[in-house]
Amino acid sequence: MPKVIVLRKANITKFESKSSRAKGIAFHPKRPWILVSLHSSTIQLWDYRMGTLIDRFEEHDGPVRGIDFHKTQPLFVSGGDDYKIKVWSYQSRRCLFTLNGHLDYVRTVFFHHELPWILSSSDDQTIRIWNWQNRSLICTMTGHNHYTMCAQFHPKDDLIVSASLDQSVRVWDISGLRKKHSAPTSMTFEDQMARANSNQADMFGNTDAVVKFVLEGHDRGVNWVAFHPTLPLIVSSGDDRLVKLWRMSETKAWEVDTCRGHFQNSSACLFHPHQDLILSVGEDKTIRVWDLNKRTSVQTFKRENDRFWVIAAHPEINLFAAGHDNGVMVFKLERERPASANYQNQLFYITKDKFIRSYDFSKNVESPAILSLRKFGSPWTPPRTLSYNPAERAVLVTSPVDGGSYQLIHLPRDASGAIEPTDFKKGQGNSAIFVARNRFAVFSHSSQQVDIKDLTNSTTKTIKPPSGTADIFFGGTGCILLVTATSVVLYDIQQKKQLAELAVAGVKYVVWSSDGLYAALLSKHNVTIVTKSLEQVSTLHETIRIKSAAWDDAGVLLYSTLNHIKYTLLNGDNGIVRTLDQTVYLVRVKARSVYCLDRASKPRVLDVDPTEYRFKLALVKRNYEEMLQIIKTSSLVGQSIISYLQKKGYPEIALQFVQDPQTRFELAIECGNLDVAVEMAKQLDRPKLWTRLGTEALAHGNHTIVEMTYQKLRQFDKLSFLYLTTGDGEKLARMAKIAEHRGDFQSRFQNALYMGDVEGRVQMLQELDLYPLAYATAKAAGLEDECRTMLEASGLTEDQISLPTMGKPLNPPKPIVDTHKANWPVKAASHSFFEKALLGEVGAVDDDIPQTSNGFDHLEGVQDDEAVTRDGQLGEEEDEEAAGWDMGDDINVEVESDFVNVDSADAGAGSSEADLWARNSPIAADHAAAGSFETAMQLLNRQVGAVNFAPLKPRFLEIFQASKTYLPATPGLPPLVNYVRRNVEEIDSRKLLPIIPRDLESIATADLQEGYSAMRSNKLDDGLKTFKRILHSLLVNAVSSQQDVGEAKKIITTAAEYATAMALELERRALPTEGEDNVKRSLELSAYFTIPKLEVAHRQLALMAAMKLAFTNKNYSSALSFANRMLANGGSAKLLDQAKKIKSQCERSPQDKIDIEFDQFAEFDVCAASHTPIYGGSPSVACPFDGAKYHSGFKGQVCKVCEVCEIGAPASGIRLFAA
Amino acid sequence: MDPFSAEGELLNIHNAFHQGQYLTVIDFDISSLSTENKIPARVLQLRAQIAVGQAKEVLANIGKEGNAPDFAAVKVFAQYVSGSTSNAISEIATLVEAESENTTVQLLGGTVLQAAEKTEEALSLLGKHQGSLEAYEIRSFLHTTRPDADKALLHRIALIVQIHLQQNRTDLALKEVQAARKWAQDSLLVNIAESWVGLRMGGERYQQAFYVFEELAQAPSTSATKSLVGQAVAELHLGRFPEAEAALQQAIQKDPSDIEAIANSVVLKVISGKDTSEHTSNLEAIAPEHPLLVDLQEKSSFFDQAAGKYSAKVAS
Repeated sequence: MPKVIVLRKANITKFESKSSRAKGIAFHPKRPWILVSLHSSTIQLWDYRMGTLIDRFEEHDGPVRGIDFHKTQPLFVSGGDDYKIKVWSYQSRRCLFTLNGHLDYVRTVFFHHELPWILSSSDDQTIRIWNWQNRSLICTMTGHNHYTMCAQFHPKDDLIVSASLDQSVRVWDISGLRKKHSAPTSMTFEDQMARANSNQADMFGNTDAVVKFVLEGHDRGVNWVAFHPTLPLIVSSGDDRLVKLWRMSETKAWEVDTCRGHFQNSSACLFHPHQDLILSVGEDKTIRVWDLNKRTSVQTFKRENDRFWVIAAHPEINLFAAGHDNGVMVFKLERERPASANYQNQLFYITKDKFIRSYDFSKNVESPAILSLRKFGSPWTPPRTLSYNPAERAVLVTSPVDGGSYQLIHLPRDASGAIEPTDFKKGQGNSAIFVARNRFAVFSHSSQQVDIKDLTNSTTKTIKPPSGTADIFFGGTGCILLVTATSVVLYDIQQKKQLAELAVAGVKYVVWSSDGLYAALLSKHNVTIVTKSLEQVSTLHETIRIKSAAWDDAGVLLYSTLNHIKYTLLNGDNGIVRTLDQTVYLVRVKARSVYCLDRASKPRVLDVDPTEYRFKLALVKRNYEEMLQIIKTSSLVGQSIISYLQKKGYPEIALQFVQDPQTRFELAIECGNLDVAVEMAKQLDRPKLWTRLGTEALAHGNHTIVEMTYQKLRQFDKLSFLYLTTGDGEKLARMAKIAEHRGDFQSRFQNALYMGDVEGRVQMLQELDLYPLAYATAKAAGLEDECRTMLEASGLTEDQISLPTMGKPLNPPKPIVDTHKANWPVKAASHSFFEKALLGEVGAVDDDIPQTSNGFDHLEGVQDDEAVTRDGQLGEEEDEEAAGWDMGDDINVEVESDFVNVDSADAGAGSSEADLWARNSPIAADHAAAGSFETAMQLLNRQVGAVNFAPLKPRFLEIFQASKTYLPATPGLPPLVNYVRRNVEEIDSRKLLPIIPRDLESIATADLQEGYSAMRSNKLDDGLKTFKRILHSLLVNAVSSQQDVGEAKKIITTAAEYATAMALELERRALPTEGEDNVKRSLELSAYFTIPKLEVAHRQLALMAAMKLAFTNKNYSSALSFANRMLANGGSAKLLDQAKKIKSQCERSPQDKIDIEFDQFAEFDVCAASHTPIYGGSPSVACPFDGAKYHSGFKGQVCKVCEVCEIGAPASGIRLFAA
Repeated sequence: MDPFSAEGELLNIHNAFHQGQYLTVIDFDISSLSTENKIPARVLQLRAQIAVGQAKEVLANIGKEGNAPDFAAVKVFAQYVSGSTSNAISEIATLVEAESENTTVQLLGGTVLQAAEKTEEALSLLGKHQGSLEAYEIRSFLHTTRPDADKALLHRIALIVQIHLQQNRTDLALKEVQAARKWAQDSLLVNIAESWVGLRMGGERYQQAFYVFEELAQAPSTSATKSLVGQAVAELHLGRFPEAEAALQQAIQKDPSDIEAIANSVVLKVISGKDTSEHTSNLEAIAPEHPLLVDLQEKSSFFDQAAGKYSAKVAS
């Protein structure tokens, strides 16, 4: 008898509902939904992932026993004790129609997997097939002579299996029915007749569905029956407490075996969809799992009080549901979390078939199986954890089987296939982890004890953990984390004492950051980030279950829930990175890739967009330069980031993300950036905005903007007053004129008052025929002449007018300071680093950029680009940061930054197109064109190890010069500089690139030919120069396609070969002809001259020279070999004749008179510095640019060929093309 | 409406000036002009003289021109061009203070200030705010009170456009041109200014700019080295190097000492990988302060400085 193991609920049950007796269950094939039909006549729709009841359907009368989802349509079907079959739409949440026909309880209902059919079984002893599209009964199958308890379609074939209380299981062939109902193609008259008549035959249930097999073997009624998804197998459950397995062939079917164990009626059973297992449930309150092949019990789960009535399997994922007296439980059979451990660039993990494999993050390759764990634990239980010890290359695996056990295994050196471990240590314990190079800790749940063991598996120390400890984790060097249900304890193994304790409930996993400074404690719904000394940094709550987590190298934690990958920063700011279509377990985050294991224990790489969290991280770390980089390079827009920034108090940064003018305006007002606000207001041009801008500008004291808003709003009165307050008499006068022009007397009067213009006032009053007032005004101002004319005009005398006593005439005060001439000094707070940088005010290059290899050497491709642009601005960051931020509170800014502030409304220099080039391109030539020599040099240094730039100077200046034209404009001013592009059609400023003189084509057609002709005409000095020039031209260049890159590299190699060859020959020619050593060296060099890969015609020349020299010096053997090579090459007859002659002469005595260091049979390269051979196998280094080879002693020197690059320097390879 | 084209008196001399036909301007008979137009015309003539390199002569004779502030401005401008820059800047400051509403003062003052890299002052003098706030009343006011206002405004706008371009604010320059286009569509100056902007923006606008310059350069009545150089520059940007070379040769033939023609020839030679020494030495002789040479000098030392930071690990 198999043991009854009560599985720990936490492990197995995913969801449980409380209700009355559950009689039917159906999984939705895609969504996390389950339908439960209850004895109480209700149908419930649950989301088992969230544990929420989505809907209830209550139209049946009495218990509902059968239920099924349609595979593709938003439909489900139910059958109840009211004899009715109902088809429902869960979208419209109502019953669509009812199928009537059964004469007794309906037991089960199922949809066909492709046809519009429903299969039902009923206590009226019939099995019926319905067409739910035309809502008709199409077949009734009779034959069972008791209640039919269950009937199911075969998943592929035209078969039905049914179970009945008549103790039989029947298999029905329904191919006839399918034929009849398939679309009529071409039908003969006979067919049509037969079809017309067949309905009658149907009534007797004959031709359409025939009994194929009757399976007898159960001693009591059979409650449930099911087909195997792929094999010709059937499983049935009966009241005889047995689960029987049947097999069928084309012609017969027979009983295979019986699974005995239920001690009450077995109510339902099914095959595991993927594994060789059978699951059955019974009224003995158990769920039992059986091995399909051995028919032995694998696992048993017992419920205390509830009898089980039904079981269902999810068609795709490892989930099952069982209905019992008090509801439904959804569970899985095994842990799907693959055990894994990573170390540096390697991931070790245990596959589903229980092999240990490794995965290389840098190469993205899986290793073959390293080790088999088949014999460890039980066959149906995967190991729980894996701990890796890189020093010993050993692993610790644990399995929950038999109260927990562990094994310590040394991995074989190379993955040679799944070998069974021979040498291993094992023991009892629930958790086992490495804590030091030669120590591991084993925790036993039952004894509540942690043993520290050495690698021979003997206990060196024993720790008594706090009571209730559930698990242990690595806790940093020499420490472990002891996890209880409510807290986590950091324990020092050496000192045997508790270092810290933190109250965190239900921690299940601990993930350490790669630098070991932080750890994430994962609970079911919480992520708590702690420091290595267990101080809480932040915590967050998730409503959805948290699955796993991994740290980004920058210190961002990415974690996965059931359906998302999310991130959290140390400060607790979090967000969604991407959604997941299936649950994965994160193991590593590297740049844009998230590495994870899926539920099938397969490594997968998911692409993520790290922009958002990188940006937030940069914000937190105040790494403005990186933020700037992100802003520039990525399309980081969207409401969320804007509101985030706004919320965090960075409206001025948020401003950079917004395109919508309205929002921009709001943000600009909020951060007091009037420039932008003005710009936006101009775009939108709405009075309301002008008003707001005016108010804000007034608060800033920026009266020029105030003036503009008033002008925009035509608020002439306010404008006049503004001019008055700023003392701008001129404009005030103009306002008066405008008022006159407008015919607005009120305004004229006001302006005249402001200006103290009495005459104007009098004039105006007269125009209005307000002579008394005009007179009074004139009189008050003492304008006697005016008074007189007025009196004359009106025919009055002075005496006739009685005036009140007058005071002195009022005059408006004179302005002392001409405020209107310049704006008041305004606060510079709004000018953040960003705006400056974005406006391009930050200079392109600075002096103190750290040079040479700075840690980026190993990066390639995209990262390289990033690094480049970043470095380009690295130096000035410090300074600018200080300038940009420290002066934030400085009131008197004029001294320092009047350039920015005086005319802040519109001006301020932008960045030139040349600056854009440097930003747009990772190519050194483009930086050179931009005049950013510093960064160009950095690029070259990184790409090809360039160190000696002097020879490149003409090239740099040439490129710089070529890209600018001078357009005469206004006489007296310097010409307008424009920038020549190589992509003439382009207007997107992010893609503009400069013209680079000496393109690939001109080099290939002109320069290369020039070099060749120098070779032919024996002008080696010139040739050497030409080839070096070619090398330099190509070193700093840009091409237009990836194909051209290959072409360019070919030319580089060719040029390098020729340059080496010519240098060899030139050295030889420089040798004195006398002296034995010199002759020897001369012979050697001439021999080496034949080695570089020259064009055949040129090689012939080299061979010819070498042959002649060898011959004249009586080195016949060498001369012979040269002659042979010449003959092999073929070519001009004249040369070949000579070669033949020499060959025949040499063959008489093929010996060398002078022994030279030249092995004619060996393959070798010629060292470009010492001009001596480097034979295959001996150590050598090469120039990272042109590939010239050197003896390893020359490493670190400047390449003799290109004269620029450092021999053997680490380099990422030259870039000539940016896609 | 345009008071200027209606009277038409200044049209020819203005156009000739902007096309770079300075000799035509100098030889222009201004005695028949109406009095109010005499000063502007004379100013143009003096400016043309300065443009052809006779700043000294202008300085010597400026006293005879009368004491309109316009001539004071010309004097300062001539001073600046002939090299006494600091003097000119201080003088322009006083002049601006006194006569900030005078068109010539604005224009030449703006030029001098911009040339002295006092961009902010230049822009504010050029009535930046005024220029961009075309509130109807103020415009119409300007129309009625000052008949030459539009002409002056255009002139100012052209200068503003250039300043924006030198500041690399193509966006602002474009706005300015587009605004001007709305009310002075046919103006030659607007067309030219638009071409300046077009050469910055690129794409299809290269071709448009080319058409403007080509039209000017190839019609015998309007042809001048300035427009020939403009045409050549546009062709350079369009990648049509042989055509550019032809245009430049034409320009140099016309005026062997045209600075920009020589400078652009240098650029063209570099692009096509040819020897530049002849043109470079030419340029050095005529205009040692040309940005091409200055930049090159600066970059050259910059190169040495930057290159000095690198060295091979092992000296050979």
